[in-house]
Amino acid sequence: MSDDLKVKVTELFREKSKGDKKMFYIRDVTKWLPGEDRHAIQNVVKELLDEEVLKYWSSGSSTYIMLADFFPKE
Amino acid sequence: MERSDTPLLDELEKGQWPSFVKDMKEAARKNPMAKDLLKQLELSYKDKIGHWKHGGIVGVKGYGSGVIGRYSDRPDLFPHVQAFHTMRVNHPSGWFYKTETLRKLCDIWDKHGSGLTNMHGSTGDAILLGTTTEHLQPCFNDLSDAGFDLGGSGSALRTPSACVGPARCEWACVDSLDLCYHLTMAYQDQMHRPMFPYKFKIKISACANDCVAAIARSDLSIIGTWKDAIRINADEVRAYAENINIQKEVCDLCPTRCMEWDGNKLKIYDEDCTRCMHCINVMPKALRPGKETGASILVGGKAPIVKGALLSWVVVPFMKLEPPYDELKDLIERIQDWWDEFGKSRERLGELIQRLGMRVFLKAVGLPAVPQMVKAPRTNPYVFFWPEDLKKEEK
Repeated sequence: MSDDLKVKVTELFREKSKGDKKMFYIRDVTKWLPGEDRHAIQNVVKELLDEEVLKYWSSGSSTYIMLADFFPKE
Repeated sequence: MERSDTPLLDELEKGQWPSFVKDMKEAARKNPMAKDLLKQLELSYKDKIGHWKHGGIVGVKGYGSGVIGRYSDRPDLFPHVQAFHTMRVNHPSGWFYKTETLRKLCDIWDKHGSGLTNMHGSTGDAILLGTTTEHLQPCFNDLSDAGFDLGGSGSALRTPSACVGPARCEWACVDSLDLCYHLTMAYQDQMHRPMFPYKFKIKISACANDCVAAIARSDLSIIGTWKDAIRINADEVRAYAENINIQKEVCDLCPTRCMEWDGNKLKIYDEDCTRCMHCINVMPKALRPGKETGASILVGGKAPIVKGALLSWVVVPFMKLEPPYDELKDLIERIQDWWDEFGKSRERLGELIQRLGMRVFLKAVGLPAVPQMVKAPRTNPYVFFWPEDLKKEEK
């Protein structure tokens, strides 16, 4: 179940990142999957962060999540 | 005479106050980052604009907070501050350090960063200002070896902070230090792996004097109080009467006028007392908090970033607080879960309660409406009837 959800979340990140917007709030991610349990989505996102498929981006006050491929290189 | 490179900053060295410019100049003598920081700041004063780009890198392996990315927008002029990240180090409860511990922290920062710090930032953490991306992980490793951890930043639980409490203060009604430690240890995941709609702050003051300003600065304020009567030492009251006007300075300034002074005896109507501690502050030898101590739990305080500033307001008038603090933790988790589910991105708890209403909040977290929740006389925005209750009444 977790693996299926992981695939779903990753695919959604890829699809939503096709436009100019690459960074999303965790709230956006839970909204993409209205039928799924919010905590399950958060856990899957944490796993994807551990696997470095996703990366955090933070302004210092708020945190966004994005595909590692798009993480800006300074 | 040699012309200064920083004439505008030099102005801030004048006068009798300690100057941050003096310290930055001292750091600049041995650290090129501090030197470029000084020059970039001079340019900022000249241009009347900050020359920082913010955001980006957020942490070290396994962490999503604790590091705040900062980059210069003029790396061509100031290459040593091209990356100038901040590291937030979780402070110990009540900010008690041994000098040896502080030396260790400073040595690590001299090795990996600019040598400049904020002791402490408004979050409470020890703020280490300015390091490069390459130094983040090695610096974190050295901090870990020395027994430190990073604090919270971004959309996470921020490092809980507490007043010095029973360690230094006779008025402490709860052990703020122990509670702060327990909450910090219990909520490591919420601090290090941001998953909230926005920041969430917990601050603990052990009495109503609220030395950490929990009521103004935290989403969840825990403020020590007591349930029984104020303890009165009648002899000491009479001794104070020789030097102060008790009627004018104590009774007349009591917000609920719950005290009477007949020139010899002080009478307190404790059922009308709001535990503001004004009388205790004026006559500390004569009056003391009661013996049945605990804390009031308040929610919704914040500074004015997205919407206006809010002070926290009471949701639990009195909670006995003893380890392992299960009742409090259970309440915190219910509150966070509701906010996590219904809060918009960048919406603080207080703003969500304003948007959906206190009635909805109380129902969601299972708290009864009580008179202490009324914020001001003649206004009672929180306790309304539900439509289904009205229908029942009609039958």
